[in-house]
Amino acid sequence: MKEFEMREAGQDKNLRAKVGVYICECGPNIAGKVDLDKIIADLSQLDDYQDVELVVKKYGFLCSGPGKEFLEEEIRSNGYTHLVVGACSPRDHDSTFMGVCKKTDLNPYLYRIINIREHCTWVIDDKEKATEKAFSYIRGGISRVLRQSELFEKPLDINPDVLVIGGGIAGMEAALSLSGEDRRVFLVEKTDHLGGISLDLSGLLPGQGEIIKNKIDSVTEDKNIRLFLNTSVETVIGFLGNFEIELVSIENAETTDIMAGAIVVATGSSLFDPGESAHLSYSESDEVYTSLSVEKMFSGEGEARLRSGKKPSSVALIHCVGREEKNYCSGICCSYMMKLAGFFRNQSPDIQVTEFYRDLCLPQKDDQERYTEAEAAGVEFVRIKDISIKGTEVSFEKMNSKKSEQSFDMVVLAPAIVPSADTEELADLLTVPLDESGFFQEVHKMTNPVGTSTDGVFIVGTAHGPKGVSDSMQFARASAGQILTRLIPGEKLIPEVKVTEILEAYCTGCGNCLDVCVYGAIYSDDSRGISVVNEAVCRGCGNCYGSCPSGALRTKHFTNTQLYREVDEALR
Amino acid sequence: MSQTGNVLVIGAGIAGMKASLMLAGASNKVYLVEKLPIIGGKVIKNEESFPNLECSTCMVAPIQQDVLQNPNIETLTYSIVEKIEGKLGDFSVVIRKKARYVSLTDCIGCGMCYEPCPVSLKNEWEENLIDRKAIYVPCSGSLPNVPVIDSEHCLKLNGKEECNLCVESCAFEAINLDDSDEVMEIKVGAVILAAGSSTFDLSSLPNLGYSTLPGVYAPMEFERLFASNGPTLGEITLRESEKIPESVAVIHCAGRKEQKYCSAVCCMYSFKFARFLKHKIPSASVFNIYSDVCVPGKNYQSFYKSVEGTDTEMLYTSSIDEVQVSENGPGLKVTYSDASGSMTELNVDMVILAAALVPDDDAAELAEIAGVDLDSRGFIATVQDGSGSMETSREGVFVAGTAEGPKDIQNSVIQAESAAGQVMDIVTAEVSGS
Ligand SMILES: Cc1cc2nc3c(=O)[nH]c(=O)nc-3n(C[C@H](O)[C@H](O)[C@H](O)COP(=O)(O)OP(=O)(O)OC[C@H]3O[C@@H](n4cnc5c(N)ncnc54)[C@H](O)[C@@H]3O)c2cc1C
Ligand SMILES: Cc1cc2nc3c(=O)[nH]c(=O)nc-3n(C[C@H](O)[C@H](O)[C@H](O)COP(=O)(O)OP(=O)(O)OC[C@H]3O[C@@H](n4cnc5c(N)ncnc54)[C@H](O)[C@@H]3O)c2cc1C
Ligand code: SF4
Ligand code: SF4
Ligand code: SF4
Ligand code: SF4
Repeated sequence: MKEFEMREAGQDKNLRAKVGVYICECGPNIAGKVDLDKIIADLSQLDDYQDVELVVKKYGFLCSGPGKEFLEEEIRSNGYTHLVVGACSPRDHDSTFMGVCKKTDLNPYLYRIINIREHCTWVIDDKEKATEKAFSYIRGGISRVLRQSELFEKPLDINPDVLVIGGGIAGMEAALSLSGEDRRVFLVEKTDHLGGISLDLSGLLPGQGEIIKNKIDSVTEDKNIRLFLNTSVETVIGFLGNFEIELVSIENAETTDIMAGAIVVATGSSLFDPGESAHLSYSESDEVYTSLSVEKMFSGEGEARLRSGKKPSSVALIHCVGREEKNYCSGICCSYMMKLAGFFRNQSPDIQVTEFYRDLCLPQKDDQERYTEAEAAGVEFVRIKDISIKGTEVSFEKMNSKKSEQSFDMVVLAPAIVPSADTEELADLLTVPLDESGFFQEVHKMTNPVGTSTDGVFIVGTAHGPKGVSDSMQFARASAGQILTRLIPGEKLIPEVKVTEILEAYCTGCGNCLDVCVYGAIYSDDSRGISVVNEAVCRGCGNCYGSCPSGALRTKHFTNTQLYREVDEALR
Repeated sequence: MSQTGNVLVIGAGIAGMKASLMLAGASNKVYLVEKLPIIGGKVIKNEESFPNLECSTCMVAPIQQDVLQNPNIETLTYSIVEKIEGKLGDFSVVIRKKARYVSLTDCIGCGMCYEPCPVSLKNEWEENLIDRKAIYVPCSGSLPNVPVIDSEHCLKLNGKEECNLCVESCAFEAINLDDSDEVMEIKVGAVILAAGSSTFDLSSLPNLGYSTLPGVYAPMEFERLFASNGPTLGEITLRESEKIPESVAVIHCAGRKEQKYCSAVCCMYSFKFARFLKHKIPSASVFNIYSDVCVPGKNYQSFYKSVEGTDTEMLYTSSIDEVQVSENGPGLKVTYSDASGSMTELNVDMVILAAALVPDDDAAELAEIAGVDLDSRGFIATVQDGSGSMETSREGVFVAGTAEGPKDIQNSVIQAESAAGQVMDIVTAEVSGS
């Protein structure tokens, strides 16, 4: 590390600059708590640098309209090469003063704000100590600004088109929300039809059945949506605004290359395999079914019959199959099981329906009323501590520890919603991490649930986690909103400027940094035997900085020299 | 661009802020109207948010800053919408900006004016757990960090006495006691209602002792008690006795039966409270009294499992509606029927009630002004076409967040972005098509 520092510090000798240092009085907030005249006098006399001219001044309120005009005029008339502002928190006014620089010829990255209010005058009562600290801070700031370099924004052209992977209800809704005269959507579905799981469901929430059929028609008719059935995504490279994608036909292995600015992942989910549950044992011939196969019976034949062809006269509905194993609650099964109970009762009004549940999870605002109705209609709800199922024999322990057994004509299981089969493979392809439950991980659980760490890749529907049709569609529209905001046809994108670079001469190509970067911004250039940062993807987080054994990484605007020299001078 | 690209967003909680930022990002002009003097909504009352127990301020402050600094968002704090007329693509809106008496541009938030103010009264934002002055910010860390004068209680403004103390103490000449309400009229193409929700009125449940027994707390009171910028600076001490509680019962589902729905967040915040309590008072015994655990979605059960048995003992009751809280010397006694149906007693120092999320007090008024329907529970109703559309009964008016029904932050954000996406999709399509 020392060696690297010296390399960077080499330029120190011939520092030649004219630095403007402006201290804001902030009324009594700064002026009243430190001896500003002393600070100005001491700074003016600094002999830290041979060829650096310092001009130190104070002003009442630099952030005010007249203050900004004053500063702008000062930069112009004095021809500063660098600017330091001693004022408040950068959270308040960093962007204000960068804005002032932008109006002049001074590159905004050759300016620095030093917080002498929140860090000094607001926290130190002793005027002498506050004065001393404010002086040191500004001295450090001057030292840092002298090592800063000009940085320039590099606007990128973007492609507004979007790739949607998965043609279930979420993928279709995303595609329809996004398609337009100036934005094409490529919708890729691996099966030979649109609709996903919802197609097999019967009696969804009022209106939902129609919605799915309508959406399929709309997608098929939309001339701005290009539909690829029986197709999967083979390769993806690129970043927000510019992805290159190769699609491959599952039928004939033919490939198609497309370009898109964003990718929406809507690959849905599958069901927990009840065979993995220790509580269950049954064979093919037993009258034990998953909820989805019963949904299919109702949506196909309109009724649910036993293998013998008879209608069941008693049904056990088993909630939470796989909840313990997966360690999450799918949040929709309680509700759709009550829906199924209703179907069974419609089919045979005298049927005995018993729901075995562990907790009733009724998160949607209509759920509880449906429960009350089901209970009033005679569906029996049994809260259990434990259960084991052999064929259609159900042994259970109630909350009061009483154990019982009961036999049913039919047993219906509500298996947990689990990630779909291709999730891992796709996650790899898109460099999106999976979360603890194996679903795609959002970039932030609360404030950005549809975004991922790969900017430009969004997750919607049950690919994000278990949820119902309405919520899946809301996620889809939220992703569309983000894309409509970020990729505006004809407009350019301005990527982060304070990015990391790899100094080619020092990089040994060990690849340590590749693993550290959660944004997948670093790739290895095998022909040159080094690692390279893709500046359009890098967010300048600095995670990789410490991982390089040869000190080849440099995060612009946060170089070692800049940081060390600031600290050195501040502590002198 | 004409009014087409203008959008009115009512309520600057997490939902309103996220919707505004998205719309502003696509170059729409947003008017964000908030009735309180500060933005941020309920989330900033919580020090940490489930499921990750992430610092709420760290999560929300950058969003608040983005909103305040975004050139396409005009944030109107301490303001109310009085009229919304017209139709999709062409609404006329009347907004009253209430007199704040402190200039948003001149005040720097130094706080020098509070001390001299001779008036002292309960701070409602802090759930009345501490006092404030007539000139005040609701809490430290308020954004915008500019006080407001409560004209009802200010001696000068309510005409009781001559007083000019705050004016004299302000070096920035930011205070103007002659300020008056301002009424403005704007044109917008669409409206998003994101006015949030409230919590169940616990004093209507006499069996739970809230408002009669000082040791019984509402959930927001507990959030503020835990918060390091709150009334006790984060020290959990009991009302009146100022004792540190050694045993605490969190009782679930308060108001669920009355409201006829499960709020889907109270189990989670109850578990969060257990973690908070054990974190600050490691010796405390914490009990969660419950009938059902509702932890929907991929992230929640693992948090529940991490507190179950370690931070809290889970006590199942066969009838959550019949739990009783009564006085027991200096402490409290909780009576409930256990799994076998027999009555059990539990002695504790403190009780926290997991109150249901309910429509905000002025939801009906807002619905009236916005010309939209409420659902059977008093939340703002959506079209209910099964697609999860955020459109209300009035074309061009959308709803998002807990104004539509109880939900967590994640779902509030999704609805906000979904509504903003719909506004961009429908409104622009509508107008370019006509
Ligand atoms: C038994 C059961 C009952 C339910 N009942 C209800 C109910 O009553 N009401 C309700 O609202 N919700 C209900 N749900 C939930 C509902 O099914 C889901 O919310 C909905 O299907 C999610 O839609 P989606 O588009 O995210 O996923 P899916 O419907 O799973 O669609 C995903 C699509 O992506 C495709 N795909 C997968 N991988 C790839 C790949 N690698 N490349 C290309 N394409 C791919 C799949 O073929 C599929 O077409 C129920 C779920 C189950 C299991
Ligand atoms: C005790 C408690 C703890 C919680 N903890 C968590 C947690 O840890 N994690 C989590 O995910 N969720 C939690 N929640 C839920 C979370 O608070 C909500 O999901 C979230 O606050 C909803 O945001 P919102 O924007 O819809 O509403 P709000 O946060 O309520 O914001 C609404 C805003 O609108 C304003 N407003 C209201 N009426 C008007 C009007 N007429 N005109 C103008 N403005 C108006 C309000 O002043 C407010 O600023 C908790 C809830 C409670 C009650
Ligand atoms: S700075 Fe962060 S985003 Fe950039 S390459 Fe390094 S780890 Fe990746
Ligand atoms: S009104 Fe004046 S004294 Fe009060 S916080 Fe603002 S600037 Fe400070
Ligand atoms: S004028 Fe009003 S707000 Fe100001 S100090 Fe006096 S009472 Fe307080
Ligand atoms: S979330 Fe939990 S505490 Fe709240 S109403 Fe539902 S079951 Fe009761």
